[in-house]
Amino acid sequence: MPIHDQGYRRYRGTRVPSGRAWWVIARAGVGTMLRRRAFVALLALAWLPFVVRAVQIYAATTLPQASFLAPDANLFRDFLEQQGAFLFFVTVYAGSGLIANDRRTNALQIYLSKPMTRLEYVVGKCAVLASLLLFVTWVPAFMLLLVQIAFSGSLIFLRDNLFLFPAITLFSWLQAVTVTLMMLALSSLSKSSRFVGILYAVLMFFSRALGGIVYAVTRDRRLSWISVPADLSRIGDAIFGLPSRGEASIAVALIAIGVLAVGSVYVLQRRVRGVEVVV
Amino acid sequence: MSVITAEHLSKWYGQVIGLNDVTIAVPPGITGLLGPNGAGKSTFMKLITGQLCPSKGTITVLGEPIWRNPCLYHRIGFCPEQNSFYERMTGLEWVEALVRLNGVSQSEANAMARRALEAVDLTDAAGKKIGAYSLGMRQRVKMAQALAHNPELIILDEPLSGMDPLARRKTIRMIKEWGREGRSVLVSSHILHEIESMTANILLINQGRILAEGDVHQIRDLIDEHPHTVYIKAEQPRALAREFLNDAGVLSLTFEDGAVVVQTARPDEFYGRLTDMAASGECGAVYEVTSPDDNLQAVFQYLVK
Repeated sequence: MPIHDQGYRRYRGTRVPSGRAWWVIARAGVGTMLRRRAFVALLALAWLPFVVRAVQIYAATTLPQASFLAPDANLFRDFLEQQGAFLFFVTVYAGSGLIANDRRTNALQIYLSKPMTRLEYVVGKCAVLASLLLFVTWVPAFMLLLVQIAFSGSLIFLRDNLFLFPAITLFSWLQAVTVTLMMLALSSLSKSSRFVGILYAVLMFFSRALGGIVYAVTRDRRLSWISVPADLSRIGDAIFGLPSRGEASIAVALIAIGVLAVGSVYVLQRRVRGVEVVV
Repeated sequence: MSVITAEHLSKWYGQVIGLNDVTIAVPPGITGLLGPNGAGKSTFMKLITGQLCPSKGTITVLGEPIWRNPCLYHRIGFCPEQNSFYERMTGLEWVEALVRLNGVSQSEANAMARRALEAVDLTDAAGKKIGAYSLGMRQRVKMAQALAHNPELIILDEPLSGMDPLARRKTIRMIKEWGREGRSVLVSSHILHEIESMTANILLINQGRILAEGDVHQIRDLIDEHPHTVYIKAEQPRALAREFLNDAGVLSLTFEDGAVVVQTARPDEFYGRLTDMAASGECGAVYEVTSPDDNLQAVFQYLVK
């Protein structure tokens, strides 16, 4: 009679190759957010401007009396500008707790004792917020372009404005990545998601207000790079080939956003650790 | 072959030393890491699990360096001391999400999480939110996440703290079962009799240094000379105290808010009796049993001298 070994045996099933734990983090994070009704309502609200713009395009292409509403490149730039408000609310709602909640519940210690690097953790968290932000900026803007093609029944507009595809993509992604890195860095600094949300709002509004005050006092536009929203807006105008409505030069705005992104990565590198060592 | 090897391992936090020139080889099987609070147990655990980088020296786990080697975590399960969780998640969701980080599919992760929760006797509570779990259940769900991916080495940081006597008994039985299966377990505690009930192989640590390693019985002889303090939080602490008064080994009784603190000269007999009383329920429910480490401290002082 054979006697079978009842002792410990290693897991011999299949495993996803290493380096993909970020996907698990991202899926879990997006799933958690989409289970919140208030957040889903916010996402739905963020698509209202799309509906309004789609109606505008429909009217312009089908009703001769409404031809003055005919879309141009400006429409897409304005649309993304309008979505800035939703970008802000989605960032605060979905982003403020991304790392702060893990720090509050000491989840980082457990996460980082699994086969996952800190980089994968941060990439996963970035993917959660960035994907939600792109859902309220890039996706509806792209859909709007498709709506225009569908309603007009020709590719003339697209042929004349071919740059809109890369422009929408580049600006939406730049906005999403910048805001995501900034919010994650703030989220890694605290254990309270409420505090992080307030801090983010203060930074965004304060930097804009400070930029305005500096200009009012000095009448010098060189310091307007202090405002993060103004920097993004300036870069957006340049990407869409429109005259600048902002005050900073494009080079300064790019440098300011670059420094912000590098600073955020540095903060994340310092703060995302399984064990907090206080010396 | 040793499961954990440390050579001249040191860790400083600025000017404070956490671990001081430790050289050891932990054999396969169950090993107890014993030391008072602040002895360096948690620092050692964090170095073993690769969460801290050694200031000096080397450490290898299962034959490989652990620092910046996340692939090794497939073979290690870690149960930390902290008790904070995502309270809104169910036990099953939490364990499943963590198992998925090991690169297994959703369905496989679900099956592994269920098996692990069954192993720690939490099947009935798997669908409940962690916020509704007792302290003992929280300890067990943490152990489930450490166990779920079927690791060779399980590292448990103070796994019995806050558990009631029955949960302790079950957990100790479970850890011994893992050892019998052929897994290696490193378990830390500041209570000697807890470790003694799991294994005879111990590492004694104090002030960042390994004081002694090997057989627990020699240490046990030393510790028996000192009274053992037990803190019991219960539904009816006075009823428990009345029962303890008949126990010849009990040296003193004091009351704290909803709890009784007992000093006993015979900890083994006392814990056996306490477990029987908790099981019978004749003196109401026992919520928590903890043991301050003052008696262990006395033994350390003796060893240091």
